[in-house]
Amino acid sequence: MAFISSGYNPKKPMENRITDIGPRKYDEFYPPVIAKNKGKWLYHEILEPGILVHVGESGDKVYTIRVGGCRFMSVTHLREINEIADKYCDGYLRFTTRNNIEFMTDKEENVKPMKEDLLSRKFAGGSYKFPIGGTGAGVTNIVHTQGWIHCHTPATDASGTVKATMDVLFDQFTDMKLPAKLRVSMACCLNMCGAVHCSDIAILGYHRKPPMIDHEYIDKMCEIPLAIAACPTAAIKPTKIEIEGKELKTVSVKEEKCMFCGNCYTMCPSMPLADDVGDGIVLMAGGKISNRRDAPKFSKVVVAFIPNEQPRWPTMTATIKRMIEAYSKDANKYERLGQWAERIGWERFFEKCELEFTHHLIDDFRDPAYYTWRQTTNFKF
Amino acid sequence: METIEYMGKTFSVDEDGFIDDFNNWCPEWEQWVKTVEGIEEINDEHRKLVTVLRDYYEKNGIAPMVRILSKVTGFKLKHIYELYPSGPGKGACKMAGLPKPTGCV
Repeated sequence: MAFISSGYNPKKPMENRITDIGPRKYDEFYPPVIAKNKGKWLYHEILEPGILVHVGESGDKVYTIRVGGCRFMSVTHLREINEIADKYCDGYLRFTTRNNIEFMTDKEENVKPMKEDLLSRKFAGGSYKFPIGGTGAGVTNIVHTQGWIHCHTPATDASGTVKATMDVLFDQFTDMKLPAKLRVSMACCLNMCGAVHCSDIAILGYHRKPPMIDHEYIDKMCEIPLAIAACPTAAIKPTKIEIEGKELKTVSVKEEKCMFCGNCYTMCPSMPLADDVGDGIVLMAGGKISNRRDAPKFSKVVVAFIPNEQPRWPTMTATIKRMIEAYSKDANKYERLGQWAERIGWERFFEKCELEFTHHLIDDFRDPAYYTWRQTTNFKF
Repeated sequence: METIEYMGKTFSVDEDGFIDDFNNWCPEWEQWVKTVEGIEEINDEHRKLVTVLRDYYEKNGIAPMVRILSKVTGFKLKHIYELYPSGPGKGACKMAGLPKPTGCV
């Protein structure tokens, strides 16, 4: 397409420049019933999976229909969301912190037709555009990252793994039959953008090979001290190398000390480490962020490696399903996955989920590793 | 790598317009960066930043933290932005011929 100016003048970039205006204020977009009852809600109920009602002191009611969102979406899709909001909700809608979409209305008569309309909308391939659910004790949307769509450090894909997992867990999205809510998150490298370190089940991209070093370019493209300081195990040190008679500054990686975190590549483009068979997925379990009953927990590594099997990641989804089924069958009401695992003991968790315990799962990172070992005779055979 | 010809010199640059090698920097490069970074005229304050950045990089092998740059030059961050509208990383480091900033930027 030919260039169409927005009015910006590249010759005078600072002229008529508007900055530091921040986001629009949230209350500009409140539905009238929310604005009126703000701070004066009495109670709420989950009417059915995906549908909530909040009742205000004034007696006003607001109905919320929560639908799954794929997070990575086109403008066409957003326009369709707007069209639905115009039709049933006077043009108002919101997105949740797990990237679901919520349509809100104070008209009870709108709820049923809106529900039928939402469920009737499908993509040409057959998947629901707006599946209703994500409330209560079920599996809601997966918080995830960029993956192969946009990032340069991933060890796996985000949108692909998430779609494969949500397809397997779809029944738990549209239902509320688990002991407690179960949060699944995904990050495509151990930068852990998002919530993998504090989720009931976490999918994490992982490398298994040390970085390759582009000696010829490293001193030109990288600030070498930053690459050295980026390493958590001090496996990188500065060195000199001779290429075509010229002495060049570079780094050397002590491979037996490298644990393939990829931090050096983040700081230095001349140290790439992605590898098609080396890379894969680590599964973690048992994290939570709420303070309900006990304190927040980190998730723990339970599966050391699952290969990348795009496009559907069958081993990974089967393992996740197995963990959720064991949890669903065995845990008490209100018990999060991590609370269940700690109550029955992690040795029982591995037994019930039919997971293999390997030496990779034993912490060996610095002094705090010691506290993760068992210093008691209390254990089960 | 793309090459740029400007004032009789040839430069190799990456897709963000950073020079390929610290040692290929020359005063003409400053003039070229001026045209792409929204700078009207290079004055002594611009030069002071470039000199400090180049000296620091030569000595330490890294670009200085923003606070060090501020302290050494005596320019507040706001003033650095007035000199280089794209900021110390994308603007001043580019003009000084330093490598492109990395990390989660």
